[in-house]
Amino acid sequence: MVKVFIIIPAYNESVAIASVIKDIRAASKEWQMVVVDDGSSDRTAELAETAGAVVLRHLVNRGQGAALKTGTEYAIMAGAEVVVHFDADGQFSAADIPAVIAPLTAGAAQVVFGSRFLSAPGGKKSNIPWFKKHVILGLARLINKIFLGVSLSDPQAGCRAFSRAAAAKLDWQQDKMAHCSEIMQLAVKNDLRVTEVPVTIIYRSFGQRFSGGVKILEEFFLGIFTR
Amino acid sequence: MSLQQTIGLVIVLFFLARVLSQKRKNQLNAAEFNFWLAFWLIAGVAVALLKQIDRSLAQLGFSASGINFLLYLAVVILFYFIFRLRLRLAKMEGEITKIVKKIALGDKPADKK
Repeated sequence: MVKVFIIIPAYNESVAIASVIKDIRAASKEWQMVVVDDGSSDRTAELAETAGAVVLRHLVNRGQGAALKTGTEYAIMAGAEVVVHFDADGQFSAADIPAVIAPLTAGAAQVVFGSRFLSAPGGKKSNIPWFKKHVILGLARLINKIFLGVSLSDPQAGCRAFSRAAAAKLDWQQDKMAHCSEIMQLAVKNDLRVTEVPVTIIYRSFGQRFSGGVKILEEFFLGIFTR
Repeated sequence: MSLQQTIGLVIVLFFLARVLSQKRKNQLNAAEFNFWLAFWLIAGVAVALLKQIDRSLAQLGFSASGINFLLYLAVVILFYFIFRLRLRLAKMEGEITKIVKKIALGDKPADKK
């Protein structure tokens, strides 16, 4: 049995965290869940622990990229063979995880990105808001292609999986939301075998806004000088 | 020398005196002292030579006056300083993350089965 670790960064997610863990547990009892509580002021850590996840605690909020890094390093130390990144807000579907892991266990890829722009035959489509789908993510895709050399259908794919070797190789430095693009860039730069699989995102809120996109660009620009 | 230049030089002299007094009270380290001393000396020279700067700019084909040029230069320098500050903050944030991560991993040592 392949040792799969699901990393869930969580910041004040007490409303959704328990059901997210329950859904993942229902999909497989073999997977190890690691919740990285990123300095929450609510009961996220306590609820995650009660639901059966290993909980790592950031003393102060450092951002999603940093929380994923902490969780990924923990998974590697704990002997993970496959590392999956998953959101804590309940917008991802645990039912997509086997499809995200499959290319890794089959040896067809080293990094798998879940794309909300692809759809499996007969699968459910993501209900992406129009402005986000055509303007924000369209621009992000263009920027990824021009500046980072990344040609993936989903420019901000949050549901992703790595083989152990790939997870150890991808040393992203972006602590906040720019980690998505940086991980893609590093995967391409390190010549890792990358593939995309369809995933369904259930939008409960608009999520990252246009101003958030500008912030990501700023973080990325500063990151060039701080590396 | 015009009245404006005289006022400008008095202001520069006031800040130079403050820099020297802060150095005497050990409120500035050597690098800070050197930077601010050089900054105010250059500002003083620029104010004193305002007319020559005017002429040089005119010879280069610019219509702006020397004082405008100094203002533009000041804005560019300020932008540069803000950028440096932002970089410094970003580096510090990265260092904080390293500490937070180390504590988080140290609190829960991985059980390698």
